[in-house]
Amino acid sequence: MPESKTDSVRLTIDGIPVTVPKGTLVIEAARRVGVMIPHFCYHPKLKPDANCRMCLVEVEKMPKLQTSCSTVATEGMAVRTATTVVNDAHKSVLEFILANHPLDCPVCDQGGRCDLQDFSHQYTATASRFVETKRIFQKEYFSPLIETQMNRCVQCLRCVRYCDEVMDVKALAPAGRGTMTEIKTFGTHELDCEFCGGCVQICPVGAITSRLSMYEYRPWMLKRADTVCQFCGDGCQITVQTKDNELIEVNSEYGAGRNSGDLCARGFFGFRATGHPDRLTKPLIRRNGALVETTWEEALEYTAQQIARIKNAHGAQAFGGLISGRCTNEELYLFQKFMRLAIGTNNLDSSARYGHMNGVQAMRRVQGTHRWTLSFEEIVQADVLLLVGTNVTETNPITGLKVKEAVKKRQARLFTIESIRPAIGTISNITNLVDQHVCALPTQFGGAVLALLKAVVESRLVDQRLQHESPDYVGAVTQALERLSWPELEAATGAARDTFVQMATGLAQGRRVVVLAGQELLRSAGGYGSCLLLLDLLLLTGKLTEPGCGFAPLAEENNDQGAVESGAVAELLPGGLDLANPEARARIARAWKADLPLAAGATLVEMIDRARSGLVKGMLIVGENPVGSLPTVVGAKEALQRLEFLVCQELFLTETASLAHVVLPAASSLEKAGTFTNQEGHVQAVRPAVDPIGESRPDWEILSALSVLLGTPLEYGDAKELLKEIRGVIPGYGLLGPAPIPPKVDRAAVERYLAGDYRRALAARYTLAGPADAAGGTTHLGLFQSLFHSGKLSTRSKGLLQIEAQAALRINPADAARLALADGDRVRLSNRRGEVTTTVKVLERVPEGSAWFPDHFGQDTAKLFECAIDPDTNVPAFRTASVSIAKIS
Amino acid sequence: MTKLKAWFKTIIFYEILVGMKATLSHLLHYKPITLQYPHEKRALPDNYRGMLALLRYDDGTEKCVGCDLCEAACPSRVIRVVSAEVPGEPTKRYSKEYYMDMTRCLFCGMCVDACPVDALGMTREFEWAVYDKRQLHLNKEQLLAIGDRSFPVREKRLELQHPNVAFFNVSFGHVPQKPN
Repeated sequence: MPESKTDSVRLTIDGIPVTVPKGTLVIEAARRVGVMIPHFCYHPKLKPDANCRMCLVEVEKMPKLQTSCSTVATEGMAVRTATTVVNDAHKSVLEFILANHPLDCPVCDQGGRCDLQDFSHQYTATASRFVETKRIFQKEYFSPLIETQMNRCVQCLRCVRYCDEVMDVKALAPAGRGTMTEIKTFGTHELDCEFCGGCVQICPVGAITSRLSMYEYRPWMLKRADTVCQFCGDGCQITVQTKDNELIEVNSEYGAGRNSGDLCARGFFGFRATGHPDRLTKPLIRRNGALVETTWEEALEYTAQQIARIKNAHGAQAFGGLISGRCTNEELYLFQKFMRLAIGTNNLDSSARYGHMNGVQAMRRVQGTHRWTLSFEEIVQADVLLLVGTNVTETNPITGLKVKEAVKKRQARLFTIESIRPAIGTISNITNLVDQHVCALPTQFGGAVLALLKAVVESRLVDQRLQHESPDYVGAVTQALERLSWPELEAATGAARDTFVQMATGLAQGRRVVVLAGQELLRSAGGYGSCLLLLDLLLLTGKLTEPGCGFAPLAEENNDQGAVESGAVAELLPGGLDLANPEARARIARAWKADLPLAAGATLVEMIDRARSGLVKGMLIVGENPVGSLPTVVGAKEALQRLEFLVCQELFLTETASLAHVVLPAASSLEKAGTFTNQEGHVQAVRPAVDPIGESRPDWEILSALSVLLGTPLEYGDAKELLKEIRGVIPGYGLLGPAPIPPKVDRAAVERYLAGDYRRALAARYTLAGPADAAGGTTHLGLFQSLFHSGKLSTRSKGLLQIEAQAALRINPADAARLALADGDRVRLSNRRGEVTTTVKVLERVPEGSAWFPDHFGQDTAKLFECAIDPDTNVPAFRTASVSIAKIS
Repeated sequence: MTKLKAWFKTIIFYEILVGMKATLSHLLHYKPITLQYPHEKRALPDNYRGMLALLRYDDGTEKCVGCDLCEAACPSRVIRVVSAEVPGEPTKRYSKEYYMDMTRCLFCGMCVDACPVDALGMTREFEWAVYDKRQLHLNKEQLLAIGDRSFPVREKRLELQHPNVAFFNVSFGHVPQKPN
């Protein structure tokens, strides 16, 4: 809001006075007072282009009509939008457009929600004066997902501008002149881009439509449900459109949710996974060694019987539970309550353990919060951004858009420590926008942060107040850094000292510094230590407690943050309370009116080890797939096979579920109500778009039914009742919602850390990591997340499979030339642990000497990896290995 | 005088005589107006709205483009269209399935008005009494068959008409197909 008179201007629109901030466009000012000016090329996300000439208005004292989308409102302006002159202008613009626009509205998917249709109804006479033949473009190819019908194009170039300005992909361009302008891809190949669906959503007419649900619906048949995307931690709000209980399309409105209308390929095209024919529709029970269909009654009674039997015979500690971070908060909360009360053990874990816990524990230790102290707005407003191991375009695309907005629109300085080379490719590459870039291997991200810290200390950029108040801490860090030499650091990170000095200077000078830590850092060995180093960096430069600054670890699964906050990890109770803290335990026990089990719980890998040694006899696994996710060396399959009883709640018969004694069909997030917490800590509502498929039930209903059969009833009427209970148990939860205030850094925690807690394992984290893996190979193989997949769910999605159908090893062109490889060649990857054959895809952004493999498809590469367990957070790190690549002729 | 006249008419049952006169005249000049329906049929007016039908072009292709507008226009939810892309002809739309529940139809003709390609027609058929109501639930083949027998003269194919509508629902057969 404008604070003083000089910040705002007054003008009248059709006689209605309005006060708007300086710099507001006339079209936006008109919208404020409810005057709709017709437009095609204007969009609030894009820079004004004023090419469609549809938004012409009359401004007093201006001789000609003005385009309201590019005219800035000035003091005393008098705008008229509905005069005869203006209407005549609208009419003639529309007549020109309709001279070429085909009248195929009946077969156009946009028909019914088309801007051109609406404006034509409002402004034009029904008959056209043109008798000439309309233009016809020749089509060159059909994209499997994004269908272009250039005959319908009105040449507003919104798609081209969106693709460039917002997505930074630059896949589309206008070709030709005048009415023969055509939206094309560069080159003659098919459209090959991020497939974010942005052009489909932003097209005002039916020139660009989605091929996935083409012709299956008319807009007026659709029923909408505003829910939250099930793929990554960004927590985008999506509108799922359904027709007769059938998923038709997903879109997102401008201004809605955290993403404000932007989506990625997974969000836009990945929704059909839940309707896959492989979905489990009936409970399965193992009879004579095979899983056969059964009734819910039998499956639940048998499960309860077996759980009770194991509990009586071996005690509650013989039981373990795992849950996926893709379940709702309500389910995660009920799951941990079920494990702790109905079964009586703390042996429970969730997929937050795969990496997110590293970031959370580091934040808890240094700044005393279990969530971000920032939100997306702070990322957009930051003036210096440091990205470490994020691969943000592919893992968290919408966070990536916020970074792009900060850099492209607000001129923020971007520093990156990534294992990506800056290169122009079919998808956007965040390292193309950087100020300084360090291209290091994932194993050396810690080393790069160390070099940055060394540069901060050596360039005397340490915050004066910190130096004054905590000389011990600064001294200890300086001393630890002195033991590292620059040649060592430069050799490890592959970047020169000067780069680090420049980055350090930039960070110290920045007023709003945001550090993003991505999956590649969080899931690497020593990820916890590296997160602490990044927090040390913020502390040393004096940024940690500053407003607008902070540390933000990115979550891979959509509700990893919710899993931590609901207490679905062994060491934490709901609200991020420490299980070992008797006070916290007493508080939860009071809220639940029941005693909590005392023994510390086993985490993910510990549970699997205990299952192998026979200590854990039974397991309940909800939506998690340790057999498919963990490397072969952990031996999850053999361990789970030794269990006396394994029950899985699953959507599909995964590797883990096929070992189970009972499989209970669960409902997907499009079929149930609840809430998801995104990585920022926003609790957002999940609403059912379709009915549960077959006999599948939401996970919380299954857990609730089991608890009744076990004699410890945890009964709830619906998901809302559970949320109510969570709000009672976790103080401050009620305030969270669409726009919560992020927590502040806890000063007491920072002081505790500075007073001596920093000493714990200081030497270990201030040491350079050795050569990653001694498995005998020359190439560094890393598991990475593809933009088009997220896990087991996305590989059942028809749309995403059309973009990327199978796993391919990404290698650098130089490496490919050395090995005489081309796209599609078969190669053998081998190291001491085993060998795997796969196909090759040459990609320029892969650093030389590295190879990337997507971790979503067949898990035969799992045997190549070693698993390192973090001693502090028990996070298994298994995403890097060294291998040799050989061509198979 | 008038009173006298009225009295006279009353005593001679004048009204009955007038009525009997008409009866007797019809008795003598006998010409039945009842149509002997199954044997005789009435000439229907030109704008008669009878059974609905789907039509074809002169080359035998279906006119319907599967735009669902008839479904939207129908006030009593008679019509259900399942539209899709023509297999083998990318970006061309057609109705994969087309159903009419004629038990609900009130023959208002709004669907015919709504159709952008004149694929629907109202025939002059009205003899649709059936023993089983389910027989009035017609599918696309049945509706096309009604059209075939009621409209022997077919229109020329739309694509071959004015160039400005030339690419209305025209496929692009010469280019690659949608992968499955």
